[in-house]
Amino acid sequence: MTAVETTPFRSRRRSPAWLRGPALVGVITLVLWVLVAVTLPWWSPSDPLEQVADRLLGPSFSHLMGTDALGRDVFVRALWGARISLPVAAIVIVSSVMIGTIVGAIAGFFGGWIDSVLMRAVDITMAFPPILLAMAITASLGPGIGNALIAMVLVWWPIYARLLRAQVIAVKQREYVESAHAIGASRWLILRRYILPMSYTPVLVNATMDFGQVVLLTASLSFIGLGARPPSPEWGAMITEGATNFYQWWIAAAAGIAIFLVVLAFNFVGDGLRDTFDVKDLGDIKDRN
Amino acid sequence: MPLLLLGIATIVFVVSRLTPADPLVSIVGERNLNNPEVVAAAKQRWGLDESLPVQYAQYMKNLMQGDMGTSFTTRKPVFDDLVDRLPATLELTATAMVIGLVFGIGLGVLAARNRNRFIDHIARFFALIGSSLPAFWAGLLLLYVFYARLGWLPGPGRLDPRATAPDEITGFYTVDALLHGDFGGLRAALAHLILPASVLGWGVVGIVSRLVRASLLDEFSMEYVRVARAMGLRERTVVNSHALRNALLPTITIVAFTFAFLLTGAVLTETVFSWPGVGSYAVESSRNLDFPAIIGVTILGGFAFLMTNLVTDVIYAFADPRIRLT
Amino acid sequence: MIALGLITGLLVAACGSDDASPDAGTPDGSVSSSQATDDATGDSAGGGSETALVIARGMDVNSLDPQRAYCDTCQIFMTAVYETLIGLDVDNTTLVPRLATAWESNADQTEFTFTLDPTATFADGSPVMSADVKFSWERQQGLQGSASYLVGSIASIETPNDATVKVTLTAPNSAFLAQVNAPYLGIVNQELAEAHGATADPETDTAEEWFLSNSAGSGPFTLAAYTAGSELRLARNEAYWGAAPAFPEVLIKETPQAVSQRQQLEQGAVDIAMQLSADVADGLGGDDLVIEQVPSFNYVYLALSPGAVGGEQLSPEVREAIRLALDYEGLIDATVGGAGRAQASPIPNGFAGTDGLAVPAQDLDAAKQLLADAGITELTLDATYPSLNVYGVDFSTAMQKVQTDLQEVGIQLELNPVEIAVWAEQIGADGIPVTMLYFAPDHTDSSQYVQYFGLMEGTQWQGWSKADANPAEAPLLDQAFAAQDATERAALYSQLAEAMIADQIIIPVVNPDLFLASRSNITGVRYSACCNLVLAELGRS
Repeated sequence: MTAVETTPFRSRRRSPAWLRGPALVGVITLVLWVLVAVTLPWWSPSDPLEQVADRLLGPSFSHLMGTDALGRDVFVRALWGARISLPVAAIVIVSSVMIGTIVGAIAGFFGGWIDSVLMRAVDITMAFPPILLAMAITASLGPGIGNALIAMVLVWWPIYARLLRAQVIAVKQREYVESAHAIGASRWLILRRYILPMSYTPVLVNATMDFGQVVLLTASLSFIGLGARPPSPEWGAMITEGATNFYQWWIAAAAGIAIFLVVLAFNFVGDGLRDTFDVKDLGDIKDRN
Repeated sequence: MPLLLLGIATIVFVVSRLTPADPLVSIVGERNLNNPEVVAAAKQRWGLDESLPVQYAQYMKNLMQGDMGTSFTTRKPVFDDLVDRLPATLELTATAMVIGLVFGIGLGVLAARNRNRFIDHIARFFALIGSSLPAFWAGLLLLYVFYARLGWLPGPGRLDPRATAPDEITGFYTVDALLHGDFGGLRAALAHLILPASVLGWGVVGIVSRLVRASLLDEFSMEYVRVARAMGLRERTVVNSHALRNALLPTITIVAFTFAFLLTGAVLTETVFSWPGVGSYAVESSRNLDFPAIIGVTILGGFAFLMTNLVTDVIYAFADPRIRLT
Repeated sequence: MIALGLITGLLVAACGSDDASPDAGTPDGSVSSSQATDDATGDSAGGGSETALVIARGMDVNSLDPQRAYCDTCQIFMTAVYETLIGLDVDNTTLVPRLATAWESNADQTEFTFTLDPTATFADGSPVMSADVKFSWERQQGLQGSASYLVGSIASIETPNDATVKVTLTAPNSAFLAQVNAPYLGIVNQELAEAHGATADPETDTAEEWFLSNSAGSGPFTLAAYTAGSELRLARNEAYWGAAPAFPEVLIKETPQAVSQRQQLEQGAVDIAMQLSADVADGLGGDDLVIEQVPSFNYVYLALSPGAVGGEQLSPEVREAIRLALDYEGLIDATVGGAGRAQASPIPNGFAGTDGLAVPAQDLDAAKQLLADAGITELTLDATYPSLNVYGVDFSTAMQKVQTDLQEVGIQLELNPVEIAVWAEQIGADGIPVTMLYFAPDHTDSSQYVQYFGLMEGTQWQGWSKADANPAEAPLLDQAFAAQDATERAALYSQLAEAMIADQIIIPVVNPDLFLASRSNITGVRYSACCNLVLAELGRS
């Protein structure tokens, strides 16, 4: 069974068929979040680390989501959290895609023992539930958002390696690739010019869907206590504070809603992309190729 | 398969030895770290004074015999700890699975029968919420509303603090209570399961409903359904006794995969609900840099993933004769 | 002040009362409430209740081996299961007979002789004999557990007969009887313990695991079962040689979150919760609940380690600046919602020697001036701390407040919360420049604070902070140990307190009130200075 059915390369430039309904809502939400994250320093109502009012105040007009145990504005902190979670998830996804692309392309293109060795590494890594492996690695490297990031990359790249390899193998059989090979084009040239461009679509779709999952995983690691360090307004860490101040529900709620909105937006977009491009869910390609 | 298992064990071992921290403290106590004699004795007892390759060889040898070492925190064999805690996780996961399947299939059928209508979108939205909500916050929220504010459901843990667990037969409190004819205990165990299992199960609803919807739509386009409809059978009969039965076949195959997904989700859910299972064990041990426990629980996780994949393959083979196991 | 349903706790004037204990320098303010005192003797506890007592508690058990255990929960456990030679009365001051009926010392307090109660027996029926005492204390010395400092002054133990224990010390020690009262010096059944591998040598001792599910004491309870992270189950010792406790079973359920403790208490699922924070206790009350707010001797402190890797710039001037930069009122408000007090020295309010010590106050200008004079413009320090929630104080909240305060004077802290085991490893190896920890008294004498916090050879914080020793402290402590007169002793401890303040290693942050919450039908709930909570005194009315 081939992991990913090859998607015929169609130009989508003119008609973004996926960009409607929930996907459109998702894109708008994400654009807004990115705007907030980028421009926040210029208009933030207060410093996310500064005591602005009495502690543990409920939501009010002046503090939309109340204040936390140190009298900091919870709503402002939740907004600032985007400046941590979004870049972290972006770095994780981009690094994983890059490493995965390189490894997958090499394995698929060269085959033989290189393929075997690389794919065994992929198999073994993917044999773990992601959160367990990420926890183990973060714990070993020492808690912190930087190490959590490294751990997530280590956990995530094999997905793309497998995706790329399947893609490369499929494309490799195509006539024009074989003819390019026949007229003496170098392997790297073929890889770069013909094969990799073909693989963008499934990678893009999967990356979009994974983005939300990485945001969730980042928050999860922080919630467990392995990720962001205080006083960082990281969302998972804020939920931990909310668990300590359980009766002040707004502390956890602000961060929880923030995570929810971001992840839901990515799921909307990913869902739309998947339906349009007919790329298989990762669940289906896991462990079979 | 055995190679994969070996690889899993190796990776986890390597990962756990990357750490800059020393597990000795949890063994000898903080006031004793300056006492070289005590430190040396502990090192010897826990095999920490050997070189890494020797530690690795020793570890692998022990692992083959089902010996995962002794946890630094609980001071009991990791294997025993895992065996102790596994039923709690399995009971939670199985309940979550039931919730996920019931609601997932229901939503899937509803969506397929009302394809592209309002109700289809609502069903889809509901399912997406499940996979977008951070389980740890959803858990806190449910606890706040149903336990702290309304008082309708019991709080964290498997049983009330005062209650004692039924004598162990299966380790599932619900089943054990039932086997003992203890219906009060059964009700208590079920009440404690509702919140965590719902949080965990909701995440699966999306996966199941999407699949059921898709396969039902496939079936609807089949000849026999059209014939049945043309013959004037009621829509409900068509769906329930014909299409759904066929559509569920591929759904069964993802049950195994879903189970692995649930085991992962259990890590956070158990932490929020103080559920004494393998998931919270994983969290406690990685916080405490309890290497043997981290290794053991991660291997168990990898093993569970492998097994479910294997089971999925087998079911695939049975469900679809075109695929043969190689 | 928070609206508590029923505050029976007496907010005792912590300072200024007399220090009149003849036996040992003991804390002055009494903390037991009038109600608790009435019910608090072992005899009156017989409420005739046949259902188990359930306590919700975040347990910090490091071991249940009587000679290895050292934790707040261990104090409760040890007091219930193992008995000391000397007990502490409900006034938290007077020493009373327990396993020993009588004791005497020579004039310079270097030799102590205890006479054991001939009727005392272990749970298995065998009599408590002098050999058991010798074995227990020598094992405490030999295993070098965390509580072994309590027996550090013992030179030899003789057992002239089965009922007599004669202890010779290396130097005069006026605190010895108080130390004997510490629950960690409880007596273990030698024969039973040895049968399961107990020795006084960490190389050969193999009993720790056995002690996780068994006990070998003479106390009113025995260990029934312990599951780490879940529950500690004690059963009434049916063969107890003293007055039988009221409850047939006591269950301590692992409940780390204060909120869960409150919920379970409100719903009647548990009988006692004693780790509520002020925020969580707010609004708790009703007819069926009793909540007392009592001053405690526990405290949370900030510790500065000039000898730690990365702490090199923590000169005395910089440490003084840090001390002046802290907003103590704000800290007490942020950590315990105002339900606590500032504390001047590492010796907590109420212990001998603390009268009249000046409570620290914030002075940002002076702090900035000190830093400017020291030529420090920018300073970043590692602040790894255990992610704990102790006595209602959330360390993360406290450290973030400290971080904000120090930022005012240009000192940056890099906060890094870790589990206690990980923290302990780091502080034992490289040290940690700025950190936070807590302390609850092991007994009633001020000496324990000097032995733990003083900059003398071999103390815990001398080792951790790697600061230069303060040569004035050891002689002062020797004098205090040798002093016969309580007033003289208090004066010496006062000097020691001043010396430790000047060391600037330990900066107490808050001395929180304790919230003792229980179902109103539970009798005998009180805070004990040595033993935390005395289970045998509890009953149900």
